[in-house]
Amino acid sequence: MMFVLDAVSKAYGSTVALHPLSLAVARGETLAVVGPSGAGKTTLLHLLGGVTQPSAGAVWIAGRPLASLPPGRELARLVGVMHQQLDLVPHLAAVHNVLAGRLGEWRLLRSLVSLVAPREIERALAALERVGIRDKLYERTARLSGGEQQRVALARLLVQDPAAIVADEPVASLDPARAEDLLQLLTGIARDDGKTLVASLHSIQLARRYFARIVGLRRGRLAFDLPAAAVSQAHVDRLYDLDERADDLATAAAR
Amino acid sequence: MTWPPRQRASATPRRRPLDGRGVLTLLLGGAFAWSLATVPWGPDLVHPGGERAIAQLLAAALRPELSPPFLALALEASWRTAAYAVAGMTVAVAIGLPLGVVASGALARGALSRLGAVAATRGLLALLRAIHELVWAWLFVAALGLSPLAAILALGLPYAGVLGRIYAGLLGDVPEAPLRALRASGASEWQVLLYGRLPQALPDLLSYTFYRFECAIRSAAILSFVGLGGLGYQMQLALDDLRYGELWTLLACLVALVVAVDLWSGEVRRRLVA
Ligand SMILES: Nc1ncnc2c1ncn2[C@@H]1O[C@H](COP(=O)(O)OP(=O)(O)OP(=O)(O)O)[C@@H](O)[C@H]1O
Ligand SMILES: [Mg+2]
Repeated sequence: MMFVLDAVSKAYGSTVALHPLSLAVARGETLAVVGPSGAGKTTLLHLLGGVTQPSAGAVWIAGRPLASLPPGRELARLVGVMHQQLDLVPHLAAVHNVLAGRLGEWRLLRSLVSLVAPREIERALAALERVGIRDKLYERTARLSGGEQQRVALARLLVQDPAAIVADEPVASLDPARAEDLLQLLTGIARDDGKTLVASLHSIQLARRYFARIVGLRRGRLAFDLPAAAVSQAHVDRLYDLDERADDLATAAAR
Repeated sequence: MTWPPRQRASATPRRRPLDGRGVLTLLLGGAFAWSLATVPWGPDLVHPGGERAIAQLLAAALRPELSPPFLALALEASWRTAAYAVAGMTVAVAIGLPLGVVASGALARGALSRLGAVAATRGLLALLRAIHELVWAWLFVAALGLSPLAAILALGLPYAGVLGRIYAGLLGDVPEAPLRALRASGASEWQVLLYGRLPQALPDLLSYTFYRFECAIRSAAILSFVGLGGLGYQMQLALDDLRYGELWTLLACLVALVVAVDLWSGEVRRRLVA
């Protein structure tokens, strides 16, 4: 198993972002997390990526307890996270943002020299080639379009080469055609390199088209966890239903 | 429900008639008024003959000294002042940057070691800049004699204190999210400094350094009054002999130096942002 969540919950002060929830993701699986705003998608992805620690319960990444994996090289080899806000350094050229994925493997001197004369440039080139913006190598990241920056962030993950990729709303800021392109790219990479992929999305159509399994979150609880083909319109309607009573009825029925 | 939601009345901050800031304003205003009252207003405010001196000084502005030998002297003095400023700033950056990095707490991981490193370097920076460059100059002239090294150190140390203090603030204030992302890809704090903090702070670091460079030219001119040569020294000689024309030429040189630094700074920043 790539990820195992065992009765994991997360609260920020008095706000419960995630109620106790258990989930297992196999190696090589592609999983989409869907749900309305504030459902807890980012929170769930941050737990999988080792970005935050759970308030209760246990997170296991590749068989290792998350508590034993502080941010650093070991965690970086297991999971790479693409945040909703990308978190690139806008002042650096694209090539340096891409090669930042190698910092865990580099000594300090090498990282310093690389800022002047980029090291392992062939890795950066190959990654940028794969995401389709090879010509932007030396462009300042701040000057790239939102979609191009998304690709730079993805190229950084390719260079980091973790066993699993966790992507928070990777297509939120893209037009529909580019969103499909990027998902194709992302799932293609996962398939070709045998990487596990967990991504949150707002579009159920895209989730069904590109992912094998879909998890629905609603107000911090697991609404459904099904193979993509088994997700029906009824599931979707219930997930996005604005009427809060539907939720209470559902929990009452489950008892 | 109405949209947009109406703001609750309690949300609008109400100003209390006399809060801490109000008291401070009153105090400062009072001090200013009092200081005006202590000036002996009257015919003796400008000393006798002062009006004539001012008139001569202003008249000399129209005919600055432009004879080739004096221009050569002014050029040499400008060169010397600029050289002191450059050397002083080099010392200031060489000392201020490492101290600023440590003082920003960017390199320490543990809370305790961070606190120790930050407190120690902040204290050192405060000591460096608490002492004015003129006082440093007296100290170094007493220790080293009238050597250029005395001027350079006198300029470099207090400026290192100011630069380090500002650098620490700028390096500590950059957006955190990209730094977290770098740590998530396995970067050490040193690497986070190189790939996250420095690049994000660089435009501000450069702007501020150039601004201090302008100040350093001013300070270098003043320092030369101590007897170290340069524009300030020549101005003093010109004033002593009432050669106001020379004074204006020297002032023009000083302004030209500052403008040159300003232009250079603009050029560097333009290239950085492009
Ligand atoms: N750092 C935080 N501090 C306090 N509350 C938080 C924090 N992060 C998230 N929350 C709360 O937890 C809940 C879930 O947030 P989360 O960001 O996981 O939702 P999301 O499904 O990703 O939403 P979106 O689709 O808008 O990105 C929300 O109610 C949010 O306000
Ligand atoms: Mg989110």
